[in-house]
Amino acid sequence: MPKTDRAIELTDYERQDFSVCLGCKICASVCTVNDLDLSTNPQEMLQKLFLGKDVAADDPLVRFCTGCYRCTGACPWEIRIPDVVRALRQVHATESPFEKAFKGSVAIWGRVYEPYVLMRAAPFLLKGGYIKHMMRWMEYMGIHLPHKVKRT
Amino acid sequence: MEYGYYPGCSLTGSAHKLDKGIKKVFAKQGHTLKEIPDWNCCGAFEYGDRKELAGFSKKNLEKARGHFSEIVAPCPACYKNLREADEKREFAVTHPLDLFDEAFFAAMKQGKDLKGQVFTPYYGCILLRPKETAIRNNTVMEETIARFGGDVAGESIKDRCCGGNQIFINKSVTEKLSRLILDKSRGTVVVFCPLCHMAMKTFSGERKVVYYTDLLLYIMGENSAL
Repeated sequence: MPKTDRAIELTDYERQDFSVCLGCKICASVCTVNDLDLSTNPQEMLQKLFLGKDVAADDPLVRFCTGCYRCTGACPWEIRIPDVVRALRQVHATESPFEKAFKGSVAIWGRVYEPYVLMRAAPFLLKGGYIKHMMRWMEYMGIHLPHKVKRT
Repeated sequence: MEYGYYPGCSLTGSAHKLDKGIKKVFAKQGHTLKEIPDWNCCGAFEYGDRKELAGFSKKNLEKARGHFSEIVAPCPACYKNLREADEKREFAVTHPLDLFDEAFFAAMKQGKDLKGQVFTPYYGCILLRPKETAIRNNTVMEETIARFGGDVAGESIKDRCCGGNQIFINKSVTEKLSRLILDKSRGTVVVFCPLCHMAMKTFSGERKVVYYTDLLLYIMGENSAL
C-alpha cells in the first residue's frame, strides 16, 4: 500500500473526503509555514492524497507544520490538515529524538517525565544549541519523582 | 463547586507555575479542583494515529467516570484531546478561561488594578482552533485587562502561531515565529499555554512573559505574581 494511503488510514478521513476541496487555496494564504518564507501549499498536498500520489517526507509542510489549525479555521470544509501531516510524519517515521523520548516516557510511565526526556534527548539538545537557553529555563525546573500509571 | 482536574504532564513539571496559579485562583473563589485519579498522558500532538491519540484521553475519561461530570483541563493540548475523545459529550470538559465570566469577577476580591501597564494577551492556536473545541469566550483575556484599567496591545497577533510545537524539533522555526509575534506585541505578554510560554520566554529578551493566572493573582492582591 502506498505511504499516502497508509497515512490516510491513520486519520479520521477517507481518500474521497478530499474530493470536496474546492482548490481555493485559502489554506495556503493563512499557513504558518509560509511565515517562514517557505513556499508551501496545503491544497496541493490534499490533491496528491486524493490522487493517491506520494507526499515526500521532506515536503516543507510535512517537516515544518506547527499544527496551528489556521488552515482548518479558514477552510470552507474545515479539513484538518495538521492531522493529515501528523499521520504522514508517522508513516515516514521522521520523528525527532525529542519526540522519541516523549513517546519512550509515555511507554514507561504512562506520563511524560521531563527529566527522562531531557536525558534521553541530551545529545540532540547539546548539538542543537539548546544549552544557551538553560538560564532562561530555570523557572521551569523542579524536582519530582515520576508517577507510574497503572496498566489497565 | 468541585471540578475534576486534569493537570497533564506539563503542569506537573515545567508548567508548575500554571498548576499552582490555577489552584490558587480556584481556591480563592471557593472552588475545589480534585485530580482525576491515576490519569495518564493525553498524547499531546505526538501521535499520528488518531485512534491511538483518542485512546489516551478515553482512558482518562474512564477514570473520571462516576467521580466527576465537569472536568477542567488548563493545558490547551490536553483540553483539546479530552474534548475530542468525549464524543458523546458525556462530560463537560471545560477550559478554565471559559470559567472566568461575569459571575467570577463579581465574586472576586480585587486588591490591585492594572492602570498604567500595557499587556499583550496571546492565545496562540489550540484555544481558538479548530472551531468545535475552541473556547467560548475568545476575548476573555483582553476583557480582564481592560476591566482592571490596563492597556491592551497586539490584537493582530493574538491568534498567530508561536511555533512552540517545533521548539525541540526545529528550533529556528520557533525562533522566527515567536519573534514575529514579539515584534508586534507591547508590554507584558500574557499567555495560557505552557508551550507558548516556553517559546515566548526563550526569545523574549527583556520582555516579560506571564501566565494569565499570574495576572489574576496580581489583581487579587498578590504583588509578586507579575
